[in-house]
Amino acid sequence: MTDQWVSFSRHGVAELVHLKGEIDLANANDIGRAIVARTTGASAVLIDLTAVSFLDSAGVRLLDFIVGDLDDRGKPIKLVVGERGAARMTLQLCSFRTDLLATDLDRAAAELDR
Amino acid sequence: MSETGGPDVTNELRLPWDDDPEDLYEHAPCGYLTTLPDGTIVRVNETFLAWTGYTRAALIGHRRFRDLLTAGDKIYHETHYAPLLSMQSEVHEIALEVVGADGQRLPVLVNSVLERGAGGTPRIIRTMVFNAAERRSYERELLAARRVAEASEQRVRVLQRIVADLAAAPTEAEVAEAVVRAPEPAFEAASTSIYLVDVERDQLIAVASTDPTTGNWEDMPCSSDRAVAEVARRGDLHVIGTVAEAEEHFPDLAESMRRSGRNTVVLLPLTTGSGDEQALTVLGVLAFSFREERSLSDGELRVIRLLGQQAGQALDRARLYDDARRREERAGFLARMTRSLEEEHRLLQRARRLVERVMEFADWAEVRLQVGPAGLLEHAGTQPPDPDLLAERVAVATRDAQPIYAADDDGLACTVLPLTARGRVLGTLALRMTPDRRFAAGERLFLADLADRAGLALENARLYEQERAIARTLQRSLLAADVPGGDPRFVMETYYQAAAQDLEVGGDWFDAFLITPSKLAVVVGDVVGRGIDAATTMGQLRSAIRALASAEHGPARLLEQLDRFCERVDSARMATVVYGEIDLLTSELSYACAGHLPPLLHEPAGSPQYLLQARSAPIGSRAGDRRRTQHKVRLAAGSRLLLYTDGLVERRGRPIDRGFEILAREYARRRDAPLKGLTAGLADTMVGRDHGDDVCLLCLTLGAEERLERSIGADPLQISLLRADLRGWLVGHAVDTDCVNAVLLACSEAVANAIEHGYRDDPFGVVDVSATVSADAVEVRVTDRGSWRGPGADFTRGRGLQLIEESMDEVFFDRGEGTTVTMRRNRGERRQP
Repeated sequence: MTDQWVSFSRHGVAELVHLKGEIDLANANDIGRAIVARTTGASAVLIDLTAVSFLDSAGVRLLDFIVGDLDDRGKPIKLVVGERGAARMTLQLCSFRTDLLATDLDRAAAELDR
Repeated sequence: MSETGGPDVTNELRLPWDDDPEDLYEHAPCGYLTTLPDGTIVRVNETFLAWTGYTRAALIGHRRFRDLLTAGDKIYHETHYAPLLSMQSEVHEIALEVVGADGQRLPVLVNSVLERGAGGTPRIIRTMVFNAAERRSYERELLAARRVAEASEQRVRVLQRIVADLAAAPTEAEVAEAVVRAPEPAFEAASTSIYLVDVERDQLIAVASTDPTTGNWEDMPCSSDRAVAEVARRGDLHVIGTVAEAEEHFPDLAESMRRSGRNTVVLLPLTTGSGDEQALTVLGVLAFSFREERSLSDGELRVIRLLGQQAGQALDRARLYDDARRREERAGFLARMTRSLEEEHRLLQRARRLVERVMEFADWAEVRLQVGPAGLLEHAGTQPPDPDLLAERVAVATRDAQPIYAADDDGLACTVLPLTARGRVLGTLALRMTPDRRFAAGERLFLADLADRAGLALENARLYEQERAIARTLQRSLLAADVPGGDPRFVMETYYQAAAQDLEVGGDWFDAFLITPSKLAVVVGDVVGRGIDAATTMGQLRSAIRALASAEHGPARLLEQLDRFCERVDSARMATVVYGEIDLLTSELSYACAGHLPPLLHEPAGSPQYLLQARSAPIGSRAGDRRRTQHKVRLAAGSRLLLYTDGLVERRGRPIDRGFEILAREYARRRDAPLKGLTAGLADTMVGRDHGDDVCLLCLTLGAEERLERSIGADPLQISLLRADLRGWLVGHAVDTDCVNAVLLACSEAVANAIEHGYRDDPFGVVDVSATVSADAVEVRVTDRGSWRGPGADFTRGRGLQLIEESMDEVFFDRGEGTTVTMRRNRGERRQP
């Protein structure tokens, strides 16, 4: 149901979540459930937002929840947002911690290990 | 005494015939009685005494004549004899019985004469008595013979009726009913039962009985040692005259005779075949019994044997008739099934139909087909058989391509038929027949025939499905080709909806392409026919139009070229096409309609108009007007042009005019709806999901409206549709990407707020969005009429409001009847970072 917005793969030890398209009030909850189902047991998570063309506050809420959950469990997480784009803009406007954001996947993966 | 007067020699010489009168009286060959009028005997002759054994003294003066009669005759004497004599003074040949001294009865005939004295008073009665013993016994014999004849006639009548009934009985069951009713009226039997041989099951089936409580009335194997089975094997008539006789030969019969109080039993095989013993076939046994010990005459036995033969022949005929009828039923079923399968074109539906049909004589059925990655499985009925045993049998039947028929003791009771077509096993049909037909060998041919037909029907559906999938893929690939987008000068929305019955793909298509950087061509067309041919032709026509379109020629010339094109591609003949070219610099539309429905244009002001100019006949038409013309219209910025195929407006039972009216109305109603989703929504409203024809739409919005105005329902899903319009509009006004993203975010958040808070309790609420753009700034206004609870800036939505504030330069909230949020973001250098 949420396959058009979210897909999963592995990157090293990390669970890699690919998001794409528009994430808003209408689909954020479903996407959130799909992600949580995959990341609850993960030892590290990378969320790739470079293909996201729109992200609203509901999407921010969803990311905030996932980050909080992993922080609580002491597991590292990184959000890959690229140099520009809708996702980076929204997350910056919401003042997401800069240490969470990375501009490309490899760098994010490398930072996870540190 | 001599009459001649000669010497009287009577005393001396008596002639032998010259009887002494006294002696004549006494020894006459008949009895004489003389009685008083009251019947008292006063004189009697020796003959009478000798016949009856009385002494003269015992009679004379002591007895009356009637005292000598039997009780019945005494009454007769009183009621008939005496009155008659008194009236007529004489009676003749009265048949009476005299009881002798030893009680022996003597049948007699009596003549009496009443002599009267002077004045007519009765004086004396003279009675002459003839011995009628022999005559009576002769009469009795006659009577007995007549009774026998009558009984035999009665029997014959009963048998005739039975034979007539047998002739009219079309089924085994009715023959059995007729036969079982014979022995009671024909032979005064007490009760009757009939057993029929079931050859396939090697059983004697108890079919009918006039008294099922007697005897041991139940089915038995043909090999049973019971009397009925024994007689069926021997094939000849058995009369068991006494219980003792039964005891000796058939102990089971003796036991049931004792239990039901029977003393004689007849077991009659019902046979057919020539008189030749060898060729005799026993089809059943008729058993009838008598309470008394009954001996049957040769005549009766003959009749009984005849009954057996007649019944046997009737059974034989009924069996043939039953067979013929069953064959007819099966043939009828197969014909019905084939017809019924043909009504469904799709594989799944056809398989489902097959299972439904088979359930007419099965209590469980399943079709498995080896198609696609997952295969296809359809089943019906209750109590499915053991899945492992079934899977095993299915595997064997598939491997060997041979049917496996259910057997009595296989624990599955299921027949598995491979469904083959063109030498390939397509799948299997497993079925469990209803118990009455389960093991009949006669069903095998029928089932094989059924499997043949079903296999072919399903294979055809599979091929059809394959062709349909190919056609669909072909059509999709052609339709999905690159329709220009991302151009700020126009926005396009297309929609294709296949027919719900989904028989075959249609030949509808849409296309849009840029002929030159500033000239856009739009096409909607419809090829005659369906299926792969139509899809292929559609592809050819579409390519032809792309190739023929040129900046110089215009629509009319293009249609003329298409007319020539179909001289070579005949399948394109009679296709309808609407073709338009839009000059993106001057906003002029030039269009031509070849037999196609008119485009519908909605300009920002006013109501939608059908473009009814530049009409001519379909492509390649021989009878129609092929003078191709074109017409020009100037389109105001923000105009929406709709091209569509007939599936959108045509509906059975509705005039096409009405269809046009409804389309114009629905189109106008959506004036403020986002373009995205408009065509799908129109199709849904106009034809619904359950429609019989393909529908193809292309909607084009030309130029950016000065002012964007949209109304959306209070549904989060609509926010993304609005965003699509707003994004296109902003891009159309050359707004830079950062600004576009910021405005989209703020607008989305404001609408989400209105839906989540303003219309929390109103799913039918409407959110109005209007946007203007100037050289300095973008301004967006979001209005709802909902009832906000609380301050609105609650914790969860706090982030949304924060995003609005952060992404826009000025934000105003106006809370009155509902809420209006007005947001403004500066453009270019005016933007304060």
